[in-house]
Amino acid sequence: MSLMPYAFGGLAAVVLLGSFFAASSQNLVRSVLWLGAALIGTAGLFALLNAPFLAGIQLILYTGGIITLMLFGVMLTDREHAVTRQNPSLNPLAALMVAGTFFALLATAIMNTELPVHMKDLNGGTQAVGFNLLQEHLLAFEALSFLLLAAMVGAIVLARRRDAE
Amino acid sequence: MTDIMDQLLNHPLGRGVLLGGVLVGLMMGVGAFSTYLERKFAGRIQNRLGPTIVGPFGLFQVIADGIKMLRKEIIIPRAADPVLFLLAPIVAVTLTLASAAVIPFAEGMEPVVTSVGLLWLLAFSGLLVFPVWWAGWASNNKYALFGSMRAVAQGVSYEIPLVMAALVPVILAGSLDFGAIVAAQKGGAWFIWSNPVGAIAFIIFFLASLAEANRIPFDIPEAESELIAGPSVEYTGILWGMFPLAEYIHTFIASAVASLMFFGGWLGPGPDGLHWMALKTGALYLAVYWLRWSLVRFRSDQLMRFCWHWLVPISLALIVIATLWVHAGFGGSA
Repeated sequence: MSLMPYAFGGLAAVVLLGSFFAASSQNLVRSVLWLGAALIGTAGLFALLNAPFLAGIQLILYTGGIITLMLFGVMLTDREHAVTRQNPSLNPLAALMVAGTFFALLATAIMNTELPVHMKDLNGGTQAVGFNLLQEHLLAFEALSFLLLAAMVGAIVLARRRDAE
Repeated sequence: MTDIMDQLLNHPLGRGVLLGGVLVGLMMGVGAFSTYLERKFAGRIQNRLGPTIVGPFGLFQVIADGIKMLRKEIIIPRAADPVLFLLAPIVAVTLTLASAAVIPFAEGMEPVVTSVGLLWLLAFSGLLVFPVWWAGWASNNKYALFGSMRAVAQGVSYEIPLVMAALVPVILAGSLDFGAIVAAQKGGAWFIWSNPVGAIAFIIFFLASLAEANRIPFDIPEAESELIAGPSVEYTGILWGMFPLAEYIHTFIASAVASLMFFGGWLGPGPDGLHWMALKTGALYLAVYWLRWSLVRFRSDQLMRFCWHWLVPISLALIVIATLWVHAGFGGSA
């Protein structure tokens, strides 16, 4: 008996519920924590799909990044009630269009991808990721890190300007 | 009897429940016993006796304290966020225990077999700052919130040198697997002295994991003299008890990981095995107490400056040197 379907079901439920409550919760902190739960669920899916390295990275980068997001959320909202009861949907129609487009894109991509049938054909191991990043897609990888560096320098410049005044 | 055991261990669910149960029991035991050990150790350092009354050598003090804590009323402040308030300590303990699951205590003795054990360990222990933060936030108390803000600032900053120092043995061994990292240290070539960077990387790793576990001299989020007790100030009874429990277990795990990565884990002169791992982990664990009762607390800004001005640049340099060292053909099996 394989536990795979149950594990997948459980993790998928965590991701779905987490995403739903992250969007619908009226409390900013709770909504961020739900997002964290959804991202942990995604890490679980990676682990299930024979990609332990990606699972670990997902936990460190995405879920770990949530805590910083949460801090910004609390620091940038000046009053406490703004944190606890404000999460309005500004324009449901536009949101629906963006979400719909994104869904269509993802659905097309998934439909057009040939998924490997056997679990052992999947490879998300450290070596595979390393070769992909540092050999096949080295240029894109470097461009991305350059972009991030530029963003970081920009952030420092923006933060500094306030001091000078 | 052995047949049943084999069947259980081969079934994924049985294996999870059985090994998970053993691991949780072991770690909880370590956490509970640590309270006694710490008080005894602190007493000796300060020329006192520590607990002596309850049971032989005061050993049953642990049980007495446990019962006392369980019987205390659990108070949820009226202005607190009740769900998050209750969940925070539980999640803290859960995450700590989850990070213990990938540690091999001897060759092949890890509950979860994975090729990226170190990465998972770092991931779970990095998440620990979450429950501490939201405990402070959910308490709706300014001291708690101040404390948890400090906890996040410290946790997020020290995670960087922690991960980079942990990368040094990874580069030297060419693997994220604890088994392979230990195997690369065979023949007395422990990473702490087999190369020019190991000793410094160990010191950085150890300091940063102390900071992650909020131990003195890095217990700034708690700072009982300024912030009363930081994020845990509103907690009572066993809910409060879970925070120090998670802290003790986390420190123990950090000691175990340090001995795996820098001191050869279960390898040793004479027969290899669990006893060496226990000895090394225990020695490092005691060193944590020793530091705690010898040093005073840093100031918050000193702590951050120490991290960003010293630990981060040094650990970056260590990575470069370790890479060159492996590239030049010393050690490493990548």
